[in-house]
Amino acid sequence: MTSNAVEASNLKKAFGEKQVLQDMSFGVSPGDVIGVLGKNGAGKTTLLELMLGFTAPTAGAVRIFGHESYSLPGDIKARVGFVPQQDELLDQLTVADQLRVIASFYPRWDSELIDRLCSEWGVNVNARIKSMSVGERQKLSILLAFGHKPELLILDEPVASLDPIARRQFLEQLLTLSTDEKRAIVFSSHIVSDIERLANRIWILKEGRLDWQGDLDSLKESIVRLHIRGAGPELPAFKIPGVLNVRRDGAFATAVVRDWTPEAQEALEKSASVQIEVETLGLEEIFVELHR
Amino acid sequence: MKAVARLVWAYFTGTPVLRACTIVGLALIAIDLYVVATQPGSGQKLWLAVLGLIFFFVGSSLMPVTFGRLARSHSVGVLPGGRVKLLLSAFITILLVALPVGILSPASFISANSSLPELMKDPRVRDFVLEVTALMFSSAVLFAGWMYLALWFLTSQRDMAGLFKGLIVIMLVIFSPAREIHDFNVSLTWNLQQIAILWFVFGAGFLLWPRFKAVRARRNREWFAGLTRVFTGRTVGREFDVLLGTANPWLLVAVLALPLLLMVRLMGQVPSAWLFFLTIFSGLTGAYSGQAAERSRALWLRGHWSRVELFVAVERSIWRHNAHVLGALVLVIVGMGLYAGFPPVLVAAGFSLVLLGTVLSTYLGLMITRGLRWVEIVAGVVVMLSLMALAMLVGFEDVDLTTVFALEVCMIALAIAFRSVARRRWTRIDWMECRPDRALTARGA
Amino acid sequence: MFILNPQSGIPIYRQILEQVRRMVASGQLPPGTALPSVRDLALRHTINPMTISRAYSILETEGLLERHRGRPMTVASQAKNHSQLPKRLQQIGPLVEQTVVAAKQLELSEAELVKAVRREWEQNDD
Repeated sequence: MTSNAVEASNLKKAFGEKQVLQDMSFGVSPGDVIGVLGKNGAGKTTLLELMLGFTAPTAGAVRIFGHESYSLPGDIKARVGFVPQQDELLDQLTVADQLRVIASFYPRWDSELIDRLCSEWGVNVNARIKSMSVGERQKLSILLAFGHKPELLILDEPVASLDPIARRQFLEQLLTLSTDEKRAIVFSSHIVSDIERLANRIWILKEGRLDWQGDLDSLKESIVRLHIRGAGPELPAFKIPGVLNVRRDGAFATAVVRDWTPEAQEALEKSASVQIEVETLGLEEIFVELHR
Repeated sequence: MKAVARLVWAYFTGTPVLRACTIVGLALIAIDLYVVATQPGSGQKLWLAVLGLIFFFVGSSLMPVTFGRLARSHSVGVLPGGRVKLLLSAFITILLVALPVGILSPASFISANSSLPELMKDPRVRDFVLEVTALMFSSAVLFAGWMYLALWFLTSQRDMAGLFKGLIVIMLVIFSPAREIHDFNVSLTWNLQQIAILWFVFGAGFLLWPRFKAVRARRNREWFAGLTRVFTGRTVGREFDVLLGTANPWLLVAVLALPLLLMVRLMGQVPSAWLFFLTIFSGLTGAYSGQAAERSRALWLRGHWSRVELFVAVERSIWRHNAHVLGALVLVIVGMGLYAGFPPVLVAAGFSLVLLGTVLSTYLGLMITRGLRWVEIVAGVVVMLSLMALAMLVGFEDVDLTTVFALEVCMIALAIAFRSVARRRWTRIDWMECRPDRALTARGA
Repeated sequence: MFILNPQSGIPIYRQILEQVRRMVASGQLPPGTALPSVRDLALRHTINPMTISRAYSILETEGLLERHRGRPMTVASQAKNHSQLPKRLQQIGPLVEQTVVAAKQLELSEAELVKAVRREWEQNDD
């Protein structure tokens, strides 16, 4: 367990009276790409900033590479990269200056990679940051987190302002980074399709709790929509295990369930003498159903 | 009209702290008024009311920022008469803030003379009292307007250009009426004319601003960009300072140069006023340290510092910056001393004042780790008043050196206290709660 | 080579599994064919490589694929024969289920369905 990039146990965070995060425990292993999904206000930014020590937990602990986030030592910080939701760019500098300033803090800065990405992503190195569009600023913020090749990369809504092409370029770059199995990536996003491509694990944050943390693959296999048909004109009442919501309509019913298994289906078909057809759901559907 | 009323209410009750300031201010004014009403002719000086007025004004200090934010927001352009209502709300706020002055001026008459109500039956007395009241009120309206403008430059723009403009405005604000009172040049008509002209210009500018922006956007401003490059200073070797905003001390020195020159030219002959302004300028260094907490956010993950070590590094960086500014101010003092032939005592006092001003405002600024709250506001007001008092004390002919010295020692002790509070706060600094609006977004996220 | 849909409710590794099995069984992937590397596939489709390597590992344990050091994975030489009857039947299971359900909804009898299948089988014989 100590080989985990991030480890948290019973983490709680409150701001004043408002309890933002309630009792979370999770781990991030090297090589994981974790997509964090949640409504606005669910606590995504708080979670990510807590992980990096910008703020202290109200209870519980979170550790990065074995060290408490709140007091991260310097050598651990050099292995971590962060793209915050609100960029920290200095308006009066040029892109080149900004890159140079940040690079000076890291002994291992890959300037070739950054130069290549600048030209691939169309970032004008001589532009003044004040005159850049939101999308360009976001690209620069992302670049600033890549340069020192961090082993743990945490991104808070990194692509919110990027167009589809820029997003695709960013995903490709992130993939290249993550194919090196030692790296761990945690990113939060509203754009579910990006998460579906990139992540192997999903955290669904709902009202300050981790409603789901597990493989994306298992999530898609676990949460399905059942189309149920009874024998007669009226469907008898029966209990569906793990149901999230159900809609009945005469002889038919549609139910979204979690923790579904083929055995559960067989058991239900027999016990309620119904026929069940299973519809698999994409991540966006799953997210919506979990929040109904 | 309801929207305007709501806006004005919001200005005075922006945050819990400011709301409390407003209430305290009104309470203090009410107390003094009550005393005057029940004990006319007691000769009571209305110090409480003046203090209350200061608090009342502070309570609405977020008005310029809120006004600016709303002015730039999308909704104000969309709502019918949005800009007009906004303008109206600002004007009404100024009237409200100036109102206590209008009430206090007849009150001070009553306090001085218990038989005033009878005397008022005499038309000449009545006219005189009314005229003085109108004069005080209109002067207060003017003064408040300028103060809000200065506040806006200081609080909404966090770069040198804004600071510069704010300084100029402060200078003009304090100089202009001060000189008028000194020359006994005030008149009601002149005041009303000034109010009318200024508000006409401001109102027109404000309402026509959207069109102006469209025109300006088409012009090429590259030459200005080149100029700003000169002012950003070297970045190599000073990256820590760049992120903290303290990389280029010469910027602040340059920004101070013009006001300093103006001040020397206009007020060189009046030592206390001159010292007074010098102290204010030394306090500007607090603007840098006040931002340090927020800006240090970018430094947390970049270096090996623990929170305490970060405080020490930040402190060092700020002092390296302030030393330059301090040096410049000392040069000015010495230069002035030689030029105007000030007694050496004055020069020495000026030197210590500037030092104290810098030290106190630096550490006060470093104390701001959770946005401006009660302690910082009160401390700031106390420091400012004490320094100004000190400056005026020293300027007098028969200055009591022991008192001055004792006061200075107290202030040094205060500075040390500020530093330990700042240090303690930085060991627990929480970057999600650094700024009040960041704290709000934190609660929302 | 593959048609992958990340937005589908079917996990990507399963999509790969099904497609590889089908293509090997139908001869589209003859033994010895090299499959794209995990990294290539991941970058080409912009999807997470772990789900791809999971699919490849499962296929390797099933005996459909062979791993070689320093070279991409290839279709196993005995792949076609390794695919025993129960496995092949399992492959077609979902399609059979869909057909039966549809037939029942249309209120066709078992005999009518079998007749339709046979007709199709004879037509498709080439």
